[in-house]
Amino acid sequence: MNLGNLLHSTSFRLIAWYVAVFAVSVAILLTVVYWITRAALDQQLTDSVEREMSVLTEIHRVRGMESITRGLQRRIADLKPPRRYFLLQSGTGEKIGGNLPAMSPFSGWRDLPIPAEDPGIAPGSKPEAGESLLALGRRLPDGNFLLVAENQYRTIKAREAILVAAGWGIAISLLFAIGGGILIGDSFLRRIEDINRTSRSIIDGRLSDRVPTRGSSDEMDRLAVNLNAMLDRIQSLMESLKRVSDDIAHDLRTPLSRLRRRLEIALEQKRAGQDCGPAIEDAVAEVDAILETFAALLRIAQIESGTRRSAFASVKLGQVVSEAVETYSAVAEDREQRVLADIDRAAVVQGDRELLVQMIANLFENAIRHCPSGTAITVSLTREGGDAVLCVADTGPGIPIAERDKVLKRFYRLEASRTTPGSGLGLALVKAVADLHGAALELESNSPGLRVVIRIRSSGPSRGQRDPAAQGGDHETEELRATPV
Amino acid sequence: MSMKILLIEDDPDTASYVAGGLRENNHVVEHVPDGRDGLFVASGGNHDLMVIDRMLPGLDGLAIVKTIRGAGLKAPVLMLTNLGGINDRVEGLEAGADDYLVKPFAFAELLARVNALARRPPIAPTVAVLKVADLELDRLKRAVTRGGKAIELQPQEFKLLEYLMRNAGQLVTRTMLLENVWDFHFDPRTSVVETHISRLRAKVDRGFGAELIQTLRGSGYCIREPR
Repeated sequence: MNLGNLLHSTSFRLIAWYVAVFAVSVAILLTVVYWITRAALDQQLTDSVEREMSVLTEIHRVRGMESITRGLQRRIADLKPPRRYFLLQSGTGEKIGGNLPAMSPFSGWRDLPIPAEDPGIAPGSKPEAGESLLALGRRLPDGNFLLVAENQYRTIKAREAILVAAGWGIAISLLFAIGGGILIGDSFLRRIEDINRTSRSIIDGRLSDRVPTRGSSDEMDRLAVNLNAMLDRIQSLMESLKRVSDDIAHDLRTPLSRLRRRLEIALEQKRAGQDCGPAIEDAVAEVDAILETFAALLRIAQIESGTRRSAFASVKLGQVVSEAVETYSAVAEDREQRVLADIDRAAVVQGDRELLVQMIANLFENAIRHCPSGTAITVSLTREGGDAVLCVADTGPGIPIAERDKVLKRFYRLEASRTTPGSGLGLALVKAVADLHGAALELESNSPGLRVVIRIRSSGPSRGQRDPAAQGGDHETEELRATPV
Repeated sequence: MSMKILLIEDDPDTASYVAGGLRENNHVVEHVPDGRDGLFVASGGNHDLMVIDRMLPGLDGLAIVKTIRGAGLKAPVLMLTNLGGINDRVEGLEAGADDYLVKPFAFAELLARVNALARRPPIAPTVAVLKVADLELDRLKRAVTRGGKAIELQPQEFKLLEYLMRNAGQLVTRTMLLENVWDFHFDPRTSVVETHISRLRAKVDRGFGAELIQTLRGSGYCIREPR
């Protein structure tokens, strides 16, 4: 993270504002403290001077001049170093006592300069440094002038100390604020930069890159998690799209060349003056088969994209399977096969009715096509816990264990069944629909034959509570169908 | 029966294929290649039936159907959708279309559906008994008789016969039967329709003289009194 980057970042601007506001509030706080302290110190000084003045005035009133002169001498002698000053002057301006030079009398408060050398009684003691004295003058009732003063040095020093402390306080808190701001902003920017880096990497073609997450579940982490989920979704859609185009390119080539051959035959027959009708009919049938394959491919891709999940509703699976049994029993009988069914008609799942119908039809057709005549196809639908378990078993050649995963892929057909009609998409579609419903699909051996077991999990408790209403709705439509208009 | 049909379709090949075929069958066809213009023409309410493509320039086919249904137009609508759009059918029907057909299609399929739609409602809802020659189907009692003799039918056979009789005299294609009787919106690889038709025939036609359920080669079935 370089500084230029930091200075241009949103978080830096936020931090700068934060620091400014912080600094202003610290300054206001310290100013208030300063003024209050200063006022208190000043008050303390004036109180001290006033107290001394009233004590001396009282001595003068009660005991007279003699006593006050002695009092002044004793006080001055006690001051080491002298920071308090006194002056007692006669009405004619002659100094009677004290440690200040004579001056013109005044009444009230005044600032006085500090005398250059201590004129007081305590010899050898230097006056305290400082700029000025705070003096209170008063004319005594007998016409004499009394002055009490105190060096303001300590007050000024205290004031300065407070100002310096305040300055340091502001400087240090600003440093902390800026430092903290940069640290916070930097960690924030680092995470934004993570996202930027991932974006650039994806733009450059590394589609599987993801934004690193910390598991802290704060806003940034949630943003990263959501971005990753979005990227996963986009990637799976793209892969699905790519698979479709690959599949089309790969597997429609054969039927298309077959179609071309048939049309060539028709053309040759026409040139030779023969009846080309049957050849053209064959070609039309071939085109229909190609279209059907194409539709199935697109359908599987759409199912895999998961967009159908938004249309999930309560589906009476028991009823759907019963109807499929009725439909395919007749077809099976024509092939001298039997369908043995054990259906729990009350089974209900959350799902897409249209796709479930097609999935079940595909299972039946698969079984019927692979079952030799004279045998039975066993179908059962049971409820285990909340799950609906559909089982379709045939007694055909079955699928070797090694091939079981492969038959669920598109266009995969066992070598043995290459000669029978079929697009090789039947079980792939079954798998896609099962996956869409979060159902577990198992291919098992029926020894002999194949048994397909699909376990559709029951929906969560919140959905389960909605079920009765959904079933009610379903029931209504069923009644409408039962008495068609 | 000649109808005034509005065709809203942007693809010129499909349009000329459909319009040409319908005209050959004595219908009057007005063709509009753009969605916005199509809605304008459709709003006139001068057509007995409309064939509307799902994807159109200017204005989407779904939006057209929604708008004209919102305006109270009742003329039946057949929607044409693209291959593989499994949500298109539901969306189309929800928007107010009466039937849909996936492109590419055989013209016979389109004509059969147009005819079926033109006859809608084929029978007033109050009519409980459907009749073709001496075959009677009571929709309330769910009973079938021929020449007064009761015939036992399985539920799906009953549904199949009912659908045929509701469209009596009309060609009903294999796909129409799969969609309306079985609710199959895909082509099964086994002979579901053929099997059930032959079973229905065995019960309804065998031993009664005239054969009412007829196979129209290469296109579908029709129930009618033989001439």
